[in-house]
Amino acid sequence: MKEKIRLFLETDLLESYLLGNTTTEETLQVERYIAMYPEVRETYAELQSNLEAYAKMHALKAPEGLKARILQKIKAQDAGRRKFRRFAIAASISAVMFAASAYFFYNQNQNLHQENAIVNTKIQDLEADMKQQLEDVRNQFIVLNNPQTRKVSIKGNKKAKDLKAMAYINPVKKLSYINVQSLPQLPENQCYQMWAEVNGEMLNLGVIESADDKEKLRALPYAKDAVSYITIEPEGGNIAPTVQNIVANISY
Amino acid sequence: MSTLLEKHIVELLQERNDKAISLLYEHYGDTLYGVAHKVVRDEEMAQDVVQESFVKIWKKADSYDASKAKLFTWLFRITRNTAIDKLRSVNTKNDKEIQIDVSDVYNLGVHSLRPDLMDVRENLDKIESKYQIVLDALFFQGMTQQEASDELDIPLGTIKSRLKIGLRELKKLYGTSMALIIVICSTF
Repeated sequence: MKEKIRLFLETDLLESYLLGNTTTEETLQVERYIAMYPEVRETYAELQSNLEAYAKMHALKAPEGLKARILQKIKAQDAGRRKFRRFAIAASISAVMFAASAYFFYNQNQNLHQENAIVNTKIQDLEADMKQQLEDVRNQFIVLNNPQTRKVSIKGNKKAKDLKAMAYINPVKKLSYINVQSLPQLPENQCYQMWAEVNGEMLNLGVIESADDKEKLRALPYAKDAVSYITIEPEGGNIAPTVQNIVANISY
Repeated sequence: MSTLLEKHIVELLQERNDKAISLLYEHYGDTLYGVAHKVVRDEEMAQDVVQESFVKIWKKADSYDASKAKLFTWLFRITRNTAIDKLRSVNTKNDKEIQIDVSDVYNLGVHSLRPDLMDVRENLDKIESKYQIVLDALFFQGMTQQEASDELDIPLGTIKSRLKIGLRELKKLYGTSMALIIVICSTF
């Protein structure tokens, strides 16, 4: 062990380390020796004292003003640092604000996207609806304007004398419509309902709302020798027509 | 050096109190200026070196580890390296060699300096120049003993014995003042 230490001390590595001339690897080696062996530690301490003593012997009176220049330089350094720190703080604050506003705008953007999707669907629905209605109107026009269309005037039986309606039937296009122009007033708990018997099957065509149906052309399912009925039913409509309450029938 | 003062300065340095620089300069300024001058051989350049070294000391204060080196050793390393870098940059700038080899060691002793620069210089002339040469090679040039032997054309054995004697002489000189400091410290 002594031999190992002696060999190490002979390498001058400790001296190089003293002056900061060792490589990283050498530094680690020297520091390990200093930590492990008191002899090395002592030699190093002595070298440090020698260095300091020898260097002191070379002391020279430094020129006047050098100290002031150094202190000024250091103050300037610190001011720079402080300036940088202030800048760094400002930068982090604005970064946080940027992040917050980015998050806010992202959310808002998401919401707008959703709203946009809803509006688009609504527009599509409306378009489809409009197309449907336009199609209806076109069909109505074809039927009404067609010379082969028969116009049938319908009057109510004695149960509803004031009932007036017009049916338009076109056997070529196989389309038929009915327009109910007037309906006698019914008690509150009753309503008019339309039916059609097509190919032996009774179809419910719905309740006629007297108020807003005056200008409406109601499509009737077309079939050869079909019969339509208007009946009086309990309010809200019935699932099957009440035969004794038939107020009008249309055969076409 | 009093370790109490060292501790105080290191504390101030790590607190980033610029009083540390004042204290450092008061206690080590002349020595470090001497070290810088020893390497660069020019007063103006030596001043620049000391200034740059102090800025480095201030910036790198966090990297100082008292368990690894005495404060002076750390200061010396920074100053010496700064001086060597300065010389190199001047050399490349002027594209001419500034010799820091043996001839300088021989030529530039105490006698080459102006008398007014010498007032803080103590005891150096009490060490014989043949020992100074070896001590210079070790402490300022950073040479190994083998390198010193080759450079100075002196046998390795002679280098070793001169170094031993030189260090002994050195210890004799500072040993007395160290003893004084110890006596003063112990009286408190």
